[in-house]
Amino acid sequence: MPRAWMSTPAMLVAGLLAASIALRAENTAPARQPQPAAPAYAGPDDVHVRAGLTCVACHGAPQPGSTAEAPVFAPIARAAIAPLCARCHADAAYMRQFAPQVRVDQFAQYQTSVHGQQMARGEDRVATCSDCHQAHVILQVRDARSPVAPSNVAKTCARCHADADRMSPFGRSHEVFDDWSGSVHAAALLERGDTSAPTCNTCHGSHGATPPGVDAVANVCAQCHVREAELFRDSPKRPLFEMMGQADCLVCHSNHEILRPDDSWIGFESPAVCATCHDESGGGADVIRLFSEGLRGLRRDTDAADALVTGAEEAGVLVEDGHLALAAAREAHVRLRVLVHAFAAPPFVEALTEGREAVARADAAGNAGLAELDFRRTGLAVATLFILGFLVTLFLKIRRLPPIEG
Amino acid sequence: MALKPWLAERLPVAEIEAAIAHKTVPQHRHSIWYYLGGMTLFFFGVQVVTGILLLLYYRPSAAEAYDSVQFVMTRVPFGWLIRSIHSWSANLVVAAAFVHLFSVLFLKAYRKPRELTWITGVLLLFLLLAFGFTGYLLPWNELAFFATRVGTDIAGAVPFIGEATVRFLRGGPEVTGATLTRFYGVHVAVLPAIATVLLGLHLLLVQYHGMSVPPSVEAEAARRGRRIPAMPFVPHFALRDLFGWTVALAMLAGLSAYLPWELGVRADLFAPAPAGIQPEWYFLWTFQALKLMPAYVLGISGELVAIAAMTLGAAVLVFLPFLDRNTPRSRHLVTWGAGLALLFMVAMTLIALAGGH
Repeated sequence: MPRAWMSTPAMLVAGLLAASIALRAENTAPARQPQPAAPAYAGPDDVHVRAGLTCVACHGAPQPGSTAEAPVFAPIARAAIAPLCARCHADAAYMRQFAPQVRVDQFAQYQTSVHGQQMARGEDRVATCSDCHQAHVILQVRDARSPVAPSNVAKTCARCHADADRMSPFGRSHEVFDDWSGSVHAAALLERGDTSAPTCNTCHGSHGATPPGVDAVANVCAQCHVREAELFRDSPKRPLFEMMGQADCLVCHSNHEILRPDDSWIGFESPAVCATCHDESGGGADVIRLFSEGLRGLRRDTDAADALVTGAEEAGVLVEDGHLALAAAREAHVRLRVLVHAFAAPPFVEALTEGREAVARADAAGNAGLAELDFRRTGLAVATLFILGFLVTLFLKIRRLPPIEG
Repeated sequence: MALKPWLAERLPVAEIEAAIAHKTVPQHRHSIWYYLGGMTLFFFGVQVVTGILLLLYYRPSAAEAYDSVQFVMTRVPFGWLIRSIHSWSANLVVAAAFVHLFSVLFLKAYRKPRELTWITGVLLLFLLLAFGFTGYLLPWNELAFFATRVGTDIAGAVPFIGEATVRFLRGGPEVTGATLTRFYGVHVAVLPAIATVLLGLHLLLVQYHGMSVPPSVEAEAARRGRRIPAMPFVPHFALRDLFGWTVALAMLAGLSAYLPWELGVRADLFAPAPAGIQPEWYFLWTFQALKLMPAYVLGISGELVAIAAMTLGAAVLVFLPFLDRNTPRSRHLVTWGAGLALLFMVAMTLIALAGGH
């Protein structure tokens, strides 16, 4: 096993600098992976520094002729990087010393990936460990500065996959990053900071990165969209898609530029995705019509009830029941959008009925609030009349009092 | 058996009747200000009655306070009216008390022999502010929670006892359910007990000394050799008082029906403070003055200097009758001082309302 050879911080920094110079020299060769600049940071957060490892752990002994104060190390061939990393990272007994639960199958997975298989065939332009994790400043995945932290993964992949020159020899699209950047997933991850939102490796795998096949797409999406996948698996649509060789979810939702679904996606006119295969006269038209009218109608009625409840509230009447009913109606709408994946009427109708009942409750609460408002104002008018009458009486009484002696 | 003879055998009914019959109120060009005390008393009475009604449903714990007020507003018959009247009247009683204080100040009604009437009155105003501060938190909504946090933080700037005072006020290092329970106890038991004593004493002294006549009116009457006209308290003044109170009641009903007091958003102890947190309007001037103070004044914390200045101002206010030597020069000084103080308070309040710029 590798052992610490130099231990003083000065030697470590000198070694890292020298190694980076060597790597940079290697990177000037054509058709190499884009590498970050020389390690600008080799502080204690580097996982290898923290484990007590130094330059020689990977590079071996310094080049002959270099001094102990400024050692120069030989660069590591790209094809040798993954096996080199695997010397430690595939050794469960060794890795256990640092992190008892750490995975040790990364190299095995890499060998199954498109990257690993190409590399094994001698194509060293494909990604290897140091391309994603960096060569020297290797940070924990949970460290937000790491290039493989959830919020950075897409940008790291994009360094190659958004480069048309780099992708064209492999016949790959260079637009996937732009597509994903416009997706609901990217918005969740990058705008809302939801690190559980999917990025490249969520669907393609990390070390075993491979495009999911047609058969596997539904399973990939099902990692998060459990209920939708469950409904789809039991739906009449699945055998049809399989027969047609269509990639399940992708047929309607596409792959990278996955947008927030909208009620207008269901129907017979653009932008409805159903219209790709269906028209109003064909099979399934009744169900499509039910879905479309149900979703739009429930949203319209919920919005109207919301306006009623808000109107009553803005006038000063608390309509808490109305808010609860509106929440139930909106929740029913969300359920309806999920139930669309069953491609069948009965469960949809059941949820639609619940949604309409909730809207009716919200309407009733809003109307009760407005009626209460009328009651209050009528009551105030009556009370004001009594008060005015009392004030007039008082005024007349005061005027009839004996004059003040001066 | 007739009630009056029965009472007369046991109480000095005849003496009371005679006192009432002889009680008069001076009548001059400033007499309108005499009604402010009665108006403050009316709003205070409204607070007592509506407060007792709210007590029937209110639950003083962080888990239940908001829901119980919401229950009052939505489920209890006329609960919305009682709560709105309580909230509106809480503001109007402070407004009436401030106007009463400044009218007494400008008319120099605190002069001998009314020093104790003045002191009890000023202390009652401080009590009303304490009622407002403690009551503001009770609905346990977001605005009240953060305003209380900011308000109690101010006490922390006092050297030596600051931290202990904050802990005492909050019932711990932070504003929590313990603070709510504490404020509730102070609001419904401690402050009313003190207020009852002070108000009783204040009213007794007002009856004992009668209404003060401003020095300018006294001097004018002396110059002209005329007696200052007097209005019988009953029925002349009392009926006019009743007229004012009825108008105030109509105003409260109108405000409650058309502008019911909002409940706001439930307090969340872990949520960040929303923008625009401000205390009630009557604390805005102190809040703004604290904000405008530089960080340090002659090497002393600006916040501490502001607190010291306000404490000094409060002390001057309480002991004003003993500081004013009742000479034309000192009276002039009091008028200018009170005018400047009023101008400062109004200006600071307006700046705060305009967004603190």
